[in-house]
Amino acid sequence: MTAVAPPASFQFCGRSFLAFVLKPKMPTSEWIAEADKWLWRSPGFFSGKPVVVDVSGLLLSKEDAAGLIADLGMRNIRVMGMLGTDDRLADPALPPLLSPAGKTEFQIPSETPDPQPMPAAVAAAASSLLIDSPVRSGQSLFHDGDVTVIGSVSSGAEIVASGSIHIYGTLRGRVLAGADGNAKAHIFCRRLEAELIAIDGYYRMADDISSFLGKSVHAWLDDSALTIKALD
Amino acid sequence: MAQVLVVTSGKGGVGKTTTTAALGAALAQHGQRVVVVDFDVGLRNLDLVMGAERRVVYDLTYVAQGNVRLHQALIRDRRIETLFLLAASQTRDKDALSEEGVERVIKELRASFDWVICDSPAGIERGATLAMRFADLAVVVTNPEVSSVRDSDRIIGLLDAKTEKAARGERMDKHLLLTRYDPVRAGRGDMLRIEDVMDILSIPLLAVIPESEDVLRASNLGSPITLASPKSAPARAYDEAAQRLMGVDKPVSIPNGRNGFLTKLFGRRAA
Amino acid sequence: MTWLSLFSRRKSASVARERLQILLTHERVATSQSDLIPTLREEILAVVAKHVAVDPEKVEVKIDRGKAVSLLEIEIEIPATAGAKIFSPLPQATKGASGRLKEMAAKPA
Repeated sequence: MTAVAPPASFQFCGRSFLAFVLKPKMPTSEWIAEADKWLWRSPGFFSGKPVVVDVSGLLLSKEDAAGLIADLGMRNIRVMGMLGTDDRLADPALPPLLSPAGKTEFQIPSETPDPQPMPAAVAAAASSLLIDSPVRSGQSLFHDGDVTVIGSVSSGAEIVASGSIHIYGTLRGRVLAGADGNAKAHIFCRRLEAELIAIDGYYRMADDISSFLGKSVHAWLDDSALTIKALD
Repeated sequence: MAQVLVVTSGKGGVGKTTTTAALGAALAQHGQRVVVVDFDVGLRNLDLVMGAERRVVYDLTYVAQGNVRLHQALIRDRRIETLFLLAASQTRDKDALSEEGVERVIKELRASFDWVICDSPAGIERGATLAMRFADLAVVVTNPEVSSVRDSDRIIGLLDAKTEKAARGERMDKHLLLTRYDPVRAGRGDMLRIEDVMDILSIPLLAVIPESEDVLRASNLGSPITLASPKSAPARAYDEAAQRLMGVDKPVSIPNGRNGFLTKLFGRRAA
Repeated sequence: MTWLSLFSRRKSASVARERLQILLTHERVATSQSDLIPTLREEILAVVAKHVAVDPEKVEVKIDRGKAVSLLEIEIEIPATAGAKIFSPLPQATKGASGRLKEMAAKPA
């Protein structure tokens, strides 16, 4: 019997893609908690992006791996492959292995995300952004540089900046200054009623700042402690 | 020059349709040519509040689809001859209303009317964004209550983002209309004060409409409150609002809870 | 204002109830099957169009739905040259005539 050639329309080839590589650490529950903090600051960052998990050195069982993939899936991170393991973890229920056991190692150009990468890119050089109207509920502002708002920031609004944030009005929403790892960023506002303030990932929420409510304040990081001082 | 005005709020049940009918009737009573348009596809209410529910033949969706001419769909009010209604469809779904169709209809309405008042549905989805898309100015209806204020703030944000005016880089005029205001509860501290709402929303105040049984009664009867009970406090407040929209500059009257108003000393600007 | 004098002795809630009863009766029929009135309207227009070229823009339709009786008014402007017997499908704004006709009958406003 002669073999039947595949129909001409069905073709395949090899291609390489850029993907984010996440490298979990043990215990994975703690690593997930850290990931949650990051995701909280930049929700949806990984949505729709190709993500690969590097499990080298972790000695996960199939169940552990499945659990980890599921945990990530619940956070809208879809894992399309696993790196750094042999075929112990080969399973139809798990993402494909990207370095097959013992054989050629794929070199996938990978990009490890920074611990606190820049939110949605704006200018190459940090610049100062001036907003001369209130920032409304549901609006999200990402800026590389300093942000100054002439007006209030409503509850349900958020501002994420790599630099400092100045609000000449009432702050009722969330502001995250120094979001790219800049511990020297500052936050100023005329009237503090914020849901959350954060500098370089160190944050305080409304309950923790109740003594400053209604006041004009300056916030900065003093040796990893988010410090607030009333201005007048 | 025709003005397209959207009555919107974000939150449901705060008084958009009542406001559309009241303002429309008040403007028409001052001699303006007014059409009120219902954008709540599938859940139409404006026809009911206007008392025209038995006369709806063709609706906005049908006109926007090009199936019938605009003048064939407009329903003239039996009480005021310069007041017309374009009802929403009750049986079609929201996706049947296209943006191009709405743009055409609004353009055509501009040619024949002084005021095109678009009654927005609640929410921030397609119906609400369509209602605001081609507007020149907005009336943001808000109850002095936290979730209404929050939703109004959201809508104000959308007015600066999802409208043709915003796309042209122009800022839309927005006016705050505070409804269901109860001065007694505000005085006791059980209800947000006018100043609180103005401070949070930062848009100029158009009017303060007191809570009143007259509103329900007018709706029962199928008549805009400015027609049904013109002497009532809400009707007078709406009439003042209509005058302000027409350019008359007067300070806003604050209801005093006894069908009257306090000395008119409230400026329109936010503090 | 004459409206209101009719109802001056009735509480507004009873007026509301009556309006709703009439309205919802019609709307329930409309959502479950074709409303009679739009169907009548389309069929009458189709009959007229069989004999006379009707400009769809010159057609005014008014309805007043009542409890016991609904009033349907159709005004059609017939041009002076209407003597000629011309078979023409119902003039359309956009698409094929008979297709449009069926569509209009099936989807009440």
